[in-house]
Amino acid sequence: MKQIVFLCICCFCTTQAWADAHGPAFGYSTTTLGSGDSSIETVLTWRSGVAMLGPRFSYGVTENLQLSISAPFDLNYGQHPVGRFTATMPGEPLAEALVAWRFHHALTGVGTRNESTLYMGVGGTTQTLPRTDGPPLNREPSYYIAAATGHISRSYYVWAGGGYQFYGHWGGSEDHQSNSLLTSVVVGWRPQFFYKDYPRPDVRFFWETTGDWVGMARRGGTSATTPPPGGHFRSLATLASPAPTPDSVVLPNSGGEGIYSGPSFLYTYRDIAIQGGVLFPLWNQLNGTQPSEGIRSFIGVSYFFLKGRR
Amino acid sequence: MTLSWRSTFRGIVLGGLLLAIEPVRAEYRRIQMKVYGLDCELCARGVGASIHRLAGVRSVEVSLKTGTLEIELNPGNTIRMSDLRNRIRENGFRPMGATVTAVGRFNGSRFEVLGTGESYDVAIPSVKSVDTPELTFDIR
Repeated sequence: MKQIVFLCICCFCTTQAWADAHGPAFGYSTTTLGSGDSSIETVLTWRSGVAMLGPRFSYGVTENLQLSISAPFDLNYGQHPVGRFTATMPGEPLAEALVAWRFHHALTGVGTRNESTLYMGVGGTTQTLPRTDGPPLNREPSYYIAAATGHISRSYYVWAGGGYQFYGHWGGSEDHQSNSLLTSVVVGWRPQFFYKDYPRPDVRFFWETTGDWVGMARRGGTSATTPPPGGHFRSLATLASPAPTPDSVVLPNSGGEGIYSGPSFLYTYRDIAIQGGVLFPLWNQLNGTQPSEGIRSFIGVSYFFLKGRR
Repeated sequence: MTLSWRSTFRGIVLGGLLLAIEPVRAEYRRIQMKVYGLDCELCARGVGASIHRLAGVRSVEVSLKTGTLEIELNPGNTIRMSDLRNRIRENGFRPMGATVTAVGRFNGSRFEVLGTGESYDVAIPSVKSVDTPELTFDIR
């Protein structure tokens, strides 16, 4: 029953409108809504055969403080890759409240500004992800902290950022998913053809590169697969995973690192924005024999309520 | 003393004329303001809609190319420059200098837009004594 209600809410959101239309599709950006403005959006993502629909509502509390609530959910079950792969929405089915605080905001000229934004989020699981090696892993509570900085102008954009997703383990279970790290560099430009004055359709193109790291999942007790000697403790994985307890072991086919890169676009006209993008894997290093991720894709539509305060 | 019909008629006409004449109000009529930070269509739409929501605003035009807002105000408005500047800041942008057309009164070298509590140093000594002139001037 709870799932039906949840799906109804999500469907309601998606019928209102469809993505974070202020910045790039995957990577970090710094923009926030104006004071009193709001947006409702839906993104459809695709990675390793798993489609995820993510409705989100955002509200500008002040011009530098934005609150967003998103609840992405899987449309189909598959071997779901874990780890965050978009900056402002969880990579797994979670309901997340995210606060964006633009703490640095220097308006330097006509159409130009330098700004930096801090993100903090908290979330809870909405769907369990089946695993072939045992029961689902605990993913809550989820905490997220990220930061981004960038330069914005009429002709080009540059953003860089990074964020860390931490999964606690409520209920004392040692079966829990690993933490993840996402970093990104985004370069954007507006072609001369779209240097039209308002109100005209506005199109920007981005080239996004993301680097992500996913730690190794853990299981408590004896149900876990015994890791092969030495194979799982390479690279960063051991540095940021939660401290092991005597009974918990890492899951061998979990976690890894990857670099993805690809183009995206953002089209805005009046109160509507459409964005999309594709990331191609440049480099992948997995900790086990789980399937490697291929193309990541993203399409989203947003509707903005840009009226400000009375 | 008796009132003639002619005197009564004159009185009524004069009274009517006095009532019909709109008192000259002190107010802003047009404001063209430079704004820093506007880079996209959504930004322009947001700041334009937000200012349009202020009572007394007739129209707002935003130019992304020049980074300017052109605001036409209705007669009888009570909008202050500080209201406009606050609206622009609430949208995340920075109000800069403006060219303003306003009706007001000179008090020495200062031009007062009565009713708004705002006044500006406008160096036009030859019109110091003129009440409620409409004046176009630059402010920083």
